[in-house]
Formats: sequence, C-alpha cells, structure tokens
Amino acid sequence: MANELLFFMEVLVGGLLAGTMYSLVALGFVLIFKASATFNFSQGAMVFFSVLAFCGFMQDFNIPFVLAFILAALLMVVVGLCTERLVLRPLMNASEDTVLMATIGLGYVLEGLAQAAWGVEVRRLDLGIGDFPVPWIADNLKLFISALDITAGLVAAIMIIGLFLLFKYTKIGLGLRAVADDAGAASSIGIPLKHIMLLVWSAAGVVALVAGMMWGARAGVQFALVDLALKALPVLIIGGFSSIPGAIIGGLIIGAVEKILEVYIGPFFGGAIEGWAPYVLAIFFLLYRPEGLFGEKIIRRV
Amino acid sequence: MSDNSVNILDIKNIEVMYDNVILALHDVSLKVPKGKVVALLGANGAGKSTTLKAVSTMLASERGKVTKGSIDYDGNSIEKQNPSQMVGLGMVQVLEGRRCFGHLTVEENIISGAYSRKLSKGDIDQELEKIYGYFLRLKERRKSQAAFTSGGEQQMIAVARAMMAKPKMLLLDEPTMGLAPQLVAEIFNIVKELNQKEGVSILLAEQNTNIALKNSDYGYIIETGKVMLEGTAESLLNNDKVKELYLGISKKGRKNFRDVLKEESLNKKIN
Repeated sequence: MANELLFFMEVLVGGLLAGTMYSLVALGFVLIFKASATFNFSQGAMVFFSVLAFCGFMQDFNIPFVLAFILAALLMVVVGLCTERLVLRPLMNASEDTVLMATIGLGYVLEGLAQAAWGVEVRRLDLGIGDFPVPWIADNLKLFISALDITAGLVAAIMIIGLFLLFKYTKIGLGLRAVADDAGAASSIGIPLKHIMLLVWSAAGVVALVAGMMWGARAGVQFALVDLALKALPVLIIGGFSSIPGAIIGGLIIGAVEKILEVYIGPFFGGAIEGWAPYVLAIFFLLYRPEGLFGEKIIRRV
Repeated sequence: MSDNSVNILDIKNIEVMYDNVILALHDVSLKVPKGKVVALLGANGAGKSTTLKAVSTMLASERGKVTKGSIDYDGNSIEKQNPSQMVGLGMVQVLEGRRCFGHLTVEENIISGAYSRKLSKGDIDQELEKIYGYFLRLKERRKSQAAFTSGGEQQMIAVARAMMAKPKMLLLDEPTMGLAPQLVAEIFNIVKELNQKEGVSILLAEQNTNIALKNSDYGYIIETGKVMLEGTAESLLNNDKVKELYLGISKKGRKNFRDVLKEESLNKKIN
C-alpha cells in the first residue's frame, strides 16, 4: 500500500514539475494576449528561434553560457522591436483577427530565419543539469524526481514573481495593465502604445528563450519545439488567457492530470493518452468555465 | 497673430473625412480663449466627438483625417502631433463613455493619468491628494475596482485621471451622458471648479444644452458637421431659436437649424 502511495506521489510530483514547463511556454502567450488581445501564433516559433540562436552563439561561436544568454535575450528584444515596427504598427487600426493572422505569418518568418541562420539539424543543449532523478531526494524521500524538472519549477517560480512585481508595482506595468483594459483610453492620457508593445513583445521573447532552454535541454533543440505552442493552448484555456497565475496553475494542472491519467486510465485506452487528455479537459472548461480559472471575467455594469 | 496669446485653441474651417469617403465635418471653426469654458452643442452625429478627436489627434486611430483647414493649439499647428505628444503639450481628452480601466483600482486609474509626467512617488502622492480634494467621493472608493463603481464615479475617475496629466486644456466629451440630474450638477460643479482654481481651459461637447450653457462662457452649435450658430452662453440661452430647438421651449415640434434657415429665407423671399 505504502508503495502504491509513493508511486502516486511520484507520478503527481513529476507531473506537476513537468507542468511548469508548459507554464513557461504559456506565460509568453499571456503577456501578449494581455496587451494586444491576440493569441500569438508565433510564440512557438519564438521559442524555437530564441533557443536555436542561444545554441548557435554557444556552440558555433564558443561564447560562454551567460554571455550567450544575454545575447539571445537582446536578440529577442530586437525581434520585439521589429515586430512592433513592421507588423503591429502598420496594423494599428486593423481588427484583432487581422493581427492574429499576422502572428501566423510572423511565425513562419521566424522559423525560416532561424533555420537559415543556424541550420536544420537537431542540436543538443547541455545546461549542466541532468534529466535524471536527484539522488538526495531518491534516497531520503524515495521519490524519483528529475533535476531538470526541479530547475524548471524554480525558474518558472522566479519568472512569475518577477513579472508579478513588474506589473503590479512599476510604472510601465501600470501602463501595460491600462492598455490591456482599454488601449484607446490609455492613449488618450498619453500612454505611448508603441513602448508598451515593445516591452511586451520583448518580455515574451525572453520568456520564450527560457522556456526553449528548458525544453531544449530535455528534448533537444529542434523544429518540434514550434509545436509546443499547441500544448500551451489547453493550459491557457484552463488557466485563463489573460492571467499570469492562471498560466502557471493551468500548466501544473495539465502536467499533473495528464501524467495521472496516463498511468491510471491510459492502459484502458491502450496508452499514450497524455497526448490528447489535456484537450479533453480543455473542452470541459470551454463548456463550463470559458474564462478559465483565473481569466479576467468581463465585468459589466447592470 | 495677436490672437494666439488670447486663444489657446483656434480651429479654422476644418473638414474631416473617415475612411477617405465619409465626410464627418464640413466646415467647423471655433476658438477657445485661455482659461474659458466653451460648449460645443449639437445632436447625436452632429460632429462634436469628431471635432474633439481632431483636436486631440486621436482621429488617426479611427481612420479619420483632417482634410482641410487648420488647428492651432497654444500658437502652434497640431498637424504633426500624435496623442501622447498632445498630452505632453498639456491637451488631454476625456473620451465619451468614460472609458475607465475596469480592472484597475480607482487610485491606479487616476495615477495612470500621470504616465506622461516624470514624477517621483512623493510627487504623485501629493498630486493625488490635490485631485482627491476635488473628487471627495473617489477618495472613499480608492481601493475599489473601477468597473464596480457607479456611472457618476466613473465619469469622475475619467476627469480625475485626465487632471493627473496636468493639462492646460481639457476636452470633455459628453461628461454627463446617462447620469442622474444631481450627478450632472455635481460633475459640472467640479468642472467649473477645475476651470477656476486650476486655470484649465475647457472645450465641452454636450447634448444637454441647458446645463452646458449655464456652465460655459461661450457656445457653438453644430449640425451635420457645420457650425450653425455661435455666441456667448448668455446670448444663446436667450436666443429664441436655441430655446425652440435645443431647450424644448416651443409650441411647435422640434426641428433643426437647416429648416429654420430655409424657413427664414422663404419668408424673406415672400416679403
């Protein structure tokens, strides 16, 4: 009995930590959704682009880790700058649907650029953190939990705290929340939309880089990272598109539920249900709680 | 040229088009003397909001464009400016329909108005206290989410937010829309106070002709994108045609100015 409980705990903790990896990807979506009310289809491409650039700096130019990270982050700021100038500003008066389509196009451009610049082969990314159980935890708690999962959890926690502080207590954070509520009114009191957009896209780019590094270390830096974006969709539906805590909790729920279902229910379906179980969960949320757990309800006066 | 020192805003014969085809303003000229309250009156669709947006340069974000005429603010043309630059120059528009940031608290809403200014935390607190002095109601509700406040409070938030930008000139677009009469009076009292104590010049678009004129120095009446009548507030309040058409003091049914002018020219011909 004790063994079974221990096994369940292991599945649960492993799932929760794996979920933080989804949360990291979802964070980038939330940032952009808050400011432009658009689902950024290029987020997956940004993950791929940023981490491939990071690998390229490190492996092709032998730039040390920290410097490569800073360079890749700066590159994402440049991408944010170009996106604001070349994509968002010309579409300033366009509908949200148009901007949505533009993000799909932007995704293709980033994918192409990344592969043109750094090649198409799968790269191995070694962060110096192994994807194997931590011996100390295995010995003392009898749980087999990957060091990479724990790192991802910590990184996600740091990012959410940082972003929370940024939004809640800084001037530019206030500006961002104002723009998220009513861009027209924000511009009427002198909040420059282009600065806010630049900030948001750069932040989403850096978040994409961090998410890409975690996923790259686990699965290799490869084109498949682009499709990670799809895994963020159920996370966002559950957590709410406009909520940063929602992205984190949504990721945890997806991570835990898919692992538990896979282990306990999976055998009845012939296994491999973690690929689609999150989407089933997402459908239930769409039916009964479409704004997600933490999404901002549309407040209407009566 | 000597005009510039007297008039903070000088609009000369502007024409405004939306989407390059929809003519919203034909020919609007108006002046706002420094430190005065000027009312811009007219029915729905007459062009009041369009005029204000032309001044605050917010037309561009609605595919509108000033195609003829000129707008001078504080002696300089506003042609090349964008909305945040206009705010920097001291011209702030309070948009129609209040447009508060619903998920932000009342206080965050007001502070957001100071975005364009470089203020320290202490300066902001000081400014806040000053603003709360005019809007006592808001101080009590400072921690509430703006979306959950009443319509009157939201209008106050919108004006208070604009005041945080330290404007020389305020453009108020229908500040009393949908408010109960005592709130309308309260809002106008505050506007009047801001005008007198802070020296803010005000261009006020209103449908509520009576109360707007009672609180203004000068008035313009526009209809289908054209200025039909202008004069001091007092003269407009006592004008028979204004009384008949806008103040509802009439034995006949409501008409518009075009009909009145037509009638007059007909009468002239007959006589």
